[in-house]
Amino acid sequence: MKSDIMRQREQRTGWILVTPALIILLLVFAYPILRAFWLSLFTQNLGTELKLVFSGFANYHRMLGDGRFWQTLSNTTVFTVVSVVVELILGMGIALVLNQSFPGRGIVRTISLLPWALPTALMGVAWAWVFNDQYGVVNDFLIRLGLIQTSISWLGDPTLAMMAVITADVWKTTPFVSLLLLAGLQSIPADLYEAHAIDGASSWQSFRQVTLPLLMPQIVIALLFRFAQSFGIFDLIQVMTGGGPAGGTETVSIYIYSTVMRYLDFGYGAALVVCTFLLLVAAVAIAVYWLSRSRVNAAGGN
Amino acid sequence: MHKINSPPSWGWQKPPTFLALFTLTLVAVLFLFILPALTQQPVVLTMLMQGQDIVNWKPFIQEFEQKNPDIRINLIEGPFDSNLVENLYTSAFLLGDSPYDIINMDIVWVPKFAAAGWVLDLTNKISPQQLSKFIKGNVEGGRYRGKLYRIPHASDAGMFYYRKDILEQAGIKPPQTFEEMFRISQKLQKQGKTTWGYLWQGKQYEGVSAMFVEVLAGFGGFWANPDTFEVGLDKPEAIKAVEFLKSTIASGISPAGVSTYGEEETRLLFQSGKSLFLRNWPYVWRLANTAGSKVKDKIAIAPMLSSVGKQGGSCLGGWGWGIAKTSKHPQQAWRAIQYLTSEETQRKFILETGLVPSYKSLFLDPKIVTQYPHYPQLLKVVEKSALRPAIAQYAQASDILQRYLSAAFTGKMTSEKAMTTAASETRNLLGSFKQAQ
Repeated sequence: MKSDIMRQREQRTGWILVTPALIILLLVFAYPILRAFWLSLFTQNLGTELKLVFSGFANYHRMLGDGRFWQTLSNTTVFTVVSVVVELILGMGIALVLNQSFPGRGIVRTISLLPWALPTALMGVAWAWVFNDQYGVVNDFLIRLGLIQTSISWLGDPTLAMMAVITADVWKTTPFVSLLLLAGLQSIPADLYEAHAIDGASSWQSFRQVTLPLLMPQIVIALLFRFAQSFGIFDLIQVMTGGGPAGGTETVSIYIYSTVMRYLDFGYGAALVVCTFLLLVAAVAIAVYWLSRSRVNAAGGN
Repeated sequence: MHKINSPPSWGWQKPPTFLALFTLTLVAVLFLFILPALTQQPVVLTMLMQGQDIVNWKPFIQEFEQKNPDIRINLIEGPFDSNLVENLYTSAFLLGDSPYDIINMDIVWVPKFAAAGWVLDLTNKISPQQLSKFIKGNVEGGRYRGKLYRIPHASDAGMFYYRKDILEQAGIKPPQTFEEMFRISQKLQKQGKTTWGYLWQGKQYEGVSAMFVEVLAGFGGFWANPDTFEVGLDKPEAIKAVEFLKSTIASGISPAGVSTYGEEETRLLFQSGKSLFLRNWPYVWRLANTAGSKVKDKIAIAPMLSSVGKQGGSCLGGWGWGIAKTSKHPQQAWRAIQYLTSEETQRKFILETGLVPSYKSLFLDPKIVTQYPHYPQLLKVVEKSALRPAIAQYAQASDILQRYLSAAFTGKMTSEKAMTTAASETRNLLGSFKQAQ
């Protein structure tokens, strides 16, 4: 009985302590998205001379027939999936190397983090020059190596431009992934590997049977962070290609920006925001489900 | 006692403080409001312009300031890209208190700026007589729903360039219809007189919409009606227009690359002497006639082509001035616009810059014609105009059209499928607009 009262009290204190944080969260997260949802039920654009006119779900209906929205959605998905997978593989490799002890490891770790520390807009400009068709380093290399005869217009072709922006994004955010994974690697006790080796496991086996399962939580966290960031990518692509050529690298964020800032179609822009938000929430929910499962696995492994 | 005495002493100390304050206020009022009025502090007008235009306009603005000592114009240098300038205006107006008084507007911004209520209605400021001196299409481009928002100061129009040397040698008259152009190109290509027949802009950007408006008009079709919101992109005429453009690629008259070419790519190809015909803007004339150009003195211009029995037209571009609704000095701004768009100012401006006038008379002005002998012919081009639809959401409608034209030109979609989808998306866009009315 007494412990029950104690628990109740504790719970109450807990709620009181959590309330300020909850209020802030509501103000910062819930209010804007609810406001966007509210706005998405109205038409407010140049046609209405920027006045709010209630139009129900007309904006959502319009979205269904909007080929550009679906194209940007598929562009965003391609960008996100490819860049996150490549970053994860490269990040894992770098983390494994940095986890070994070798002379000068501290310096190498610091240097490998540098791309992550650069402002995105700045490196976007730099990468746009790297891929420039006339003066770019990439074309210069390929021509000197004799792999191509005439320079390739990297940012002038939809597929090549997508590859270029993915390359730039991978360069920038791989260090972030490898940092997260490195932290995870260091939390794995060395005696596990020792025991595994005594049992006769090869290093590949110990990577698959010890490292991967124990690293799962970090991998999922890295995935989650990177997924959310990539899905909302704006600055890098805006600077490198502006969404072109022919909309080949236009992501949802860039489309929303145009809808609001260029077309002044506020109601429709809000509907796009709400739809993208819901998709993102769904994707994160799936990832969190994985995360909880991998935690159970890891606990079971112990 | 002392304490009782003190309040009165405080009491008679008050008047001097009050007096001092009063005098101070008077002096302040005098300095802040009355003196400036007496000495006529000049009114400052702010004006944003594209970087490359500033150089051309600066001397004329200085001249205006000399003649009007009560007005100063603060010229702000904007980016070179007109899209970025539009963004600057947009964010300034959205934030409410725009610093700009005089707005330099591209023809396609007028419906947007007017519908958003950012620019002043100038309809009653200018007489119909004065307006009739300008190129008609250029004035129409400054209107939105019957009201005038912009006074044109420069024209721009799609032009049909041809190689007069090759045509003269072959004894062929310049074509007037698409069909003639097609035949002449094929014939001369077969004879090996030219590599390509016809160059046009097919890249996915605003230029493709401008080019398509002309072909559409040439086949008797229309894009969208700004009054009824009717969309004509899936009508047989529009599909025929796309089919015609695709057939120029399929039959080898135009290189397959036209679907990725903008103005510059086509100009360079034409200038290197590789093509018989070219659709482009007036700026090409000067560059193609400079030393080093392979077609120097070998080219001529003609009004835009049309299909047999149809009346085509050139897509009109061009710039003009309007006044921001938030401007605190609309009268002074109007005086500046009047001065800068006067016929005399424009004559001097054209002679110095070689741009295209907005006054009809200047195309035939003897001084200008001696310097630019092709202007009388240019007038014929500019007067036969086809306008991009004056709908408030023009930018959105144009982006839709660009996407599907590009899909059709690159063969990702059939002409019919592309145009039906473009039409349905445009209807969707304008439909949401109509409901809201």
